Order: sequence, then C-alpha cells, then structure tokens
Amino acid sequence: MTYISVENLSKRFGDTQALEDVSFEIPEGEFVVVLGASGSGKSTLLRCMNGLTKPTAGTITIGETEISEPHPDIAMIFQQHNIIGQMSAYANALTGSLQRTSFLRSVFQLNDTDEKYRALDALETVGLLDEARQRARQMSGGQQQRVGIARALVQEPNTLLADEPVASLDPGSSQQVMGYLLAAAQERNLTTVVSLHQVNLARQFGQRFIGLKDGQKVFDGYAEDFSLEVVDKIYDTVDVDRLTADEDDFADASDATDASSTADSTDEVMG
Amino acid sequence: MDVSQQVIDRYQNIRRKRRIRVTIALVLFVVVMSLFFQALVRVGFSVGELIRYGPQFLDALDQYFPQTTVYGIPFLDVWQYWDFIDERNLFSQAGITLAMGFAGTILGFPLALLFGVLGSGRVTPFPFNFIFRGVMSTIRAIPALVWALIYVPLGGVSPFTATMAIATDTIGNLGRLYTDELEEVEDGPIEAIETTGANRLQVISFGMLSQVHTPFIAWTLYIFEINVRIAVTLGIIGGGGLGQVLSTQQRLFQFTNMMATILVILTLIISVEIFSQRVRSYIRADEEPMGILELLKGFPQRMAESLGK
Repeated sequence: MTYISVENLSKRFGDTQALEDVSFEIPEGEFVVVLGASGSGKSTLLRCMNGLTKPTAGTITIGETEISEPHPDIAMIFQQHNIIGQMSAYANALTGSLQRTSFLRSVFQLNDTDEKYRALDALETVGLLDEARQRARQMSGGQQQRVGIARALVQEPNTLLADEPVASLDPGSSQQVMGYLLAAAQERNLTTVVSLHQVNLARQFGQRFIGLKDGQKVFDGYAEDFSLEVVDKIYDTVDVDRLTADEDDFADASDATDASSTADSTDEVMG
Repeated sequence: MDVSQQVIDRYQNIRRKRRIRVTIALVLFVVVMSLFFQALVRVGFSVGELIRYGPQFLDALDQYFPQTTVYGIPFLDVWQYWDFIDERNLFSQAGITLAMGFAGTILGFPLALLFGVLGSGRVTPFPFNFIFRGVMSTIRAIPALVWALIYVPLGGVSPFTATMAIATDTIGNLGRLYTDELEEVEDGPIEAIETTGANRLQVISFGMLSQVHTPFIAWTLYIFEINVRIAVTLGIIGGGGLGQVLSTQQRLFQFTNMMATILVILTLIISVEIFSQRVRSYIRADEEPMGILELLKGFPQRMAESLGK
C-alpha cells in the first residue's frame, strides 16, 4: 500500500535548481535512506516533504494529506537537532505534544499525565530516561539528537523524516543515534525517510535507498540492488573506494564525515 | 635609493592620503574646541567663581567629613554619621527606596514583556511591530523624573507616584532590551516547534521565549538595579525614601547628615548591585546550585571580589 507519494517534485532557489522532477512512492512502514553528495537536494526534498519549504512544482501526499504546511502526523528530526538548550530533556520531549495541549496548560507544564508518560516513554526508547531532568544544553551532541528523536516520537506521528540526523556527530554517536532511530521506527511501525551522506551507515541501516544527484533521482531500489556502481553513480566525484573501504575503520569513516560535513554547510545555505 | 616607479607612486599616494587625514583631524580639533568654549560661556563657567567660592566648599568639606581626635591623632568622626543614621532610622528609609525600585520593576514587567515581544519583527509582521517599538521609544524619550511630574495629578509627588513613574520607565527600557534579545534567537528551534503542529502562541513561547528566558531574567535584574537608583533620584524631588532625606538635609545645610545619607545610599546601591550581579552570573554560568554552607563560607571572598570589580 502506497503511503508517501512524491510526484514530479521540483524546487528552484533563484538560479539553483535544487530538485528536478523527482517522483517516488513509499509503502507504509518502510525505512528509506536518501543518499547524495552535499548540494544534491536531500535537505530540500525532506523540507518539502515536511511542508517547511514550498515546492516550485509537483505534489507530495502523505497518507490522505497533500502537504503544504507542517502537519502533526509528520515528525521531523533536524541535523542541528533544534531542541531548546535551556530546557530539560523531558521538557523538550514534552514539546512534541504541543498540538494536543492547550496554550496555558503547555506553558505551565500541565499536560495530561498520559502525555507526560509518553514523553518519558520516548526518552526511554532513546535510552535517556535517567537523564530526563538534565538540561539539554549540557548534553553531548549524540544525546541531544536522541532528545530530538524523543520529541518527534511524542508527536505520535505516522511518518518520521530525518534530515542528516548524524552529520554533526562522531562515528560512534552516529551509530548509536541511527540504531535508536531504526529501533524506534520499527517498534512504532513508522514510515521513515532519513537523508545521509555516509554510505557505510546507509548500507548498515537502510532497507531501501533513493539516490539524488544534482537534484535528480539517479537511483531507487532495495538493498540487493544497491551496488558499488550505484554508489559510484551517486557520488561520481567522490573517492568511493575510500568511503566504502572498511566499514569498521572509524578513522576512515570519520575522515569521510569531516569532508562531507564541511561541504555540508553549502547544502545548508541552499536549503 | 633605487626603487621602481610603482613604489614611488605608492609612496606619493600614501603621503597625499596622510596629509589629507592630518588636515581633517586639525579642522575637527578646532571645531570641537570652539564648541567647547561656546558651551562654557553658555553655562557661565568661570574660574573666578571657583576661586571665590573655594574656601566655602572647603568649609563644607569639613562638615562632610567631620573630624575628631583619638590620642591627638585626627580621625574621621564616623559616630556623627551613625547618630544621624540611627536617629532618623535611615535603614528603614532605604527600605522605602528599595520598595519603590522593586515594586516599579514588577509593575512594569507585564507590559514590558508584552510590548517587547510584540515589538519583535519575528512575532509581529514588519510595519506593525513598529507600533510597539514606537510606544517604547516614546516612553524612553521621557526620563523617569519627568514621568513623576506627569503623575503629579495622581496625588502629588509621593512614593506612590514615584513607583508609577518607575513602572512606566521600565516598560520602555526593559521592553526594548527584550525586543533586542529576541532578534538573537535561532531559527532552528522555532522551525522545529512549528513542525510539531504547535499553534502560534506555543511557537512563540516554546520556540522563541524559551531560548531567551535566562537573558530575560538577567535583563530584568539589571533594570531592577537601575530602578533602585532612579528611586533615589525621585526621592530628591519629594518621592520619599533616602532621596527625600538627602534633599531635606541639603536644604538645611546639614552637610554631615547629607554625607551620612549618601553613605546609606551607597550601601543600598552596592548591595543591590552585588545581589543582581551574583544572580546574573549564576544563571548565565549555569552552575550547579551552591549549597547554603558554601554560600556562607565563600561570602567574604565573593564580596571582596565584587567590590574590586
């Protein structure tokens, strides 16, 4: 059953064609990894799917809804996690329930007890139950991103979108965060789209892969079709041997992370 | 010296530019000096007056700092100060001044917050936010002293009207600090709260205000500090508290009593400042809360540090 359907999606920023005629369909419950070099349009695609960016042309349908603005059924996890540093992990997780809570109740943290349990349950899912009272600002990058995941889960979404959730993390934390993300998606049967630039992480966690290059879809297939040639096609300017050489070799992987995260700032600028 | 034509050209160029700069600086100096002279004439500044009234001021200094002798050695007679402080119960007067500053800050706070938030371009769309900014600028353009005069029909100059004046002043000053602080918030968290499906008010409070609540508390304390100082000034025109005692003693030419009052004012202001600075650095630094024992043990040292700042 088709759940997410993206049809002929295009997006222009001034002279830059960020996305060009991208179409795909995702059945319910799939864990999809969007791959591509920096500036390939991954962020734009996810932001369009979430309604944060308006496409120039094309439509996105998730469930029954045609997306034109942020929707509570779709939760977003950001590269910079975008949690509130001044608040505790628990208070941050609780912001996921805002659309079900009235203004005054939310301001005085008088959410229903069910919502509070939901927030703590989500923190347990990402392994942060004991750190619930800690201020988010004082947590490590990986922990902060897990708080971001918890907030998304409290939203009780059907769809989880994650825009480069591990791009600013070290390889160890990246593994951990991706692990929690996959576990949460499976546990709650969420349709998930994650953009990544690390091929090794993609191979390890992805079920299905969509490759973007210069705003165009260049690959769409499942793990068995995701060969080295495909990786080559997606990243033709990158030294593929080095990216895929040894998946357990952290030094290598962190080199790759560094290189791409520097280039990633360009990606950010382009939206 | 044998150098290329480019070097010579560059040298000439630098010399020309420098000469122009020096000329401009000289002209500016002459202009500033002549303006300064004009200003002195306007205020009737005269060295002759200084010389004529010099002895009178020295006389007053003697009263400001009364002397006594202990075993023939001259000492500052602090007991005279203390007598006045004790007799007129100046610490209770300090309480009135402090109450004016404190109540004024709290009374002004809600409108400062409302106008400050609504004045931000991120909350109210562009031309409309200037309505609120305009109101705050107008309030700021009128000094607290003048506000106290404006409130005279409410019952003359009294601690009550002075507090009203301080509250009004707080709306303008604190609100503006809030607006400025809100310009610094990051877009990411705002966007993230939007994606949770929160309503507009929730996006403002969780996405924006939660990012700035520590600076907001810090700015409020800073304005409280300033408000206590304003409370002293308003006392001088009849608003009660230490300021009023000071102006009465001045009119009675009781210079020793004046200095005693000034000492209490200093104590009050410095205590408020130390308190506000401690709290501000504490919430900014985000430390673990200090234990009460630690608080007491470390007090003398912290006091000395704050005084040395």
